[in-house]
Amino acid sequence: MSERRPYRRPMPSNWWWAPGPYRAYTIRELTGVAIVIYGAVLLAGLISLASGPSSYAGFLAFLKSPFSLLLHLVLLAAVVYHVKTWFETLPKTQPKIIVDGKPVPAEQITKYATMVAAGCSLALILLVMGVAR
Amino acid sequence: MPDAALAAKTVELRILRYRPASDERPSYESFHVPYSQEMSVLEALQSIKDTLDGSLSFRWSCRMAVCGSCGMMINGKPQLACSTFLRNLPPGPVTLEPLNNFPIERDLVVTVGDFVKKIESIYPYIIPKVPRTIEEGAYLQTPAQMAAYESFSDCINCMLCYAACPQFGENPDFIGPGAMALLQRYNGDSRDGGQRLRLDQIHGENGVWSCTAVGYCSEVCPKQVDPANAVNQNKTNSAFDFFLSFVRKA
Repeated sequence: MSERRPYRRPMPSNWWWAPGPYRAYTIRELTGVAIVIYGAVLLAGLISLASGPSSYAGFLAFLKSPFSLLLHLVLLAAVVYHVKTWFETLPKTQPKIIVDGKPVPAEQITKYATMVAAGCSLALILLVMGVAR
Repeated sequence: MPDAALAAKTVELRILRYRPASDERPSYESFHVPYSQEMSVLEALQSIKDTLDGSLSFRWSCRMAVCGSCGMMINGKPQLACSTFLRNLPPGPVTLEPLNNFPIERDLVVTVGDFVKKIESIYPYIIPKVPRTIEEGAYLQTPAQMAAYESFSDCINCMLCYAACPQFGENPDFIGPGAMALLQRYNGDSRDGGQRLRLDQIHGENGVWSCTAVGYCSEVCPKQVDPANAVNQNKTNSAFDFFLSFVRKA
C-alpha cells in the first residue's frame, strides 16, 4: 500500500517582508508609489496654475514650506532608488540583443540605458532652465 | 598523531524531516557529521545516510550540477546540494529543507509531477516552420540565431527557480520560470514555427502575467539561464499579440 501523503507547507503571510531578496523587491515596488505622489504634486501645481495667480502663489508657498522640502527629499531618494532598480530590471524585460553573434550582457544594457536616461534628463533640465530665464 | 588532529571537526546539519507513514507534519532533526574542506552538502547527506540514519531520503545523481536532482533549501536559499560546499557556508548549524513551494513527499524529496506537466504543456520540441525531408538536408542556423536562445537551453530542470518564486508559492498553477525558459528556448529558435501553439500557456490565466518581476528566480539559477528574462519578454509578446488581435479581426 502506498504511504504517500504529500505535505504542503503553508506560505508565510509575511513573505514579502522576509529579509533579503523579497524585502528588496517590496521596497522596489513601494518606491513606485513615490513617483505617483510626485506626479500628484506636479498635477496640483498645474491645476493651481490654471485656477489663477493667487492659487498658484499658494502652491509656490506650499513648495517652500519645510514639510514640502522634506517630502521632496524623501521622494527624490525613493525615485533615485526606483530608477536604479528599474534599469537593473530592464534587461530582463526585453529580447536578447545580439551583437557580432553574441548576446549583450545585462550589465551593459543597464549601463547604456541609464546613461541615455541621464542624458535626456540633463537635456530636459537645461531646456527648462533656458526657457525660464 | 596529536590529539588535536584526532578530535576531528564536525558539522551540524539541521534537516527538516517528514515520514508520511509516521509523522503528522515535518520537524527538524540534527545530525553531526565529520567535516572536511572538500565536503559538499550532498556528501554530508550521503555520510548521514551511510553511517547514521539509512532512512534519510534525498534525491541525487550526477554530483556535478548537471542532473538537477539535488535542489534543496540550504540555510533558506534554494541551491544544489552537490555544488554547495560546507566551507562556503557561515559557521554554525546548516539548515536543510526540501524546496519551498512544493509538496513534500518525504524528507528532502518533493513532488515534481505538476512541474513535469507544465514542461509537457509548452510543446518542448522544435515544430519546423517548413518541414524538410532527409534529402533536403539539415535545418541550418547561424551562430547569432543560436545565441538568441542558447542560454535558455541550459536549464537542468532543478526547480530552484520555482522555490525562489513567491508568486508560484501563492499560486501553484502559475506556469512559472522554468517552463517559461524552456518555452523561450523553442520560441526563440529560428528553426521553430510553434509560437502560436504556445501562446495559450503564455497569456492564459496562469501564464506570464502572474509574474511580478521579483527576479529572484534568475539569481538562484545554477546555470545562469535567466528565467526571469524568458517570463518578462513573453509579457511583451503577449501584449503585442493582444493588440495584433484587433488588427487581425479588422
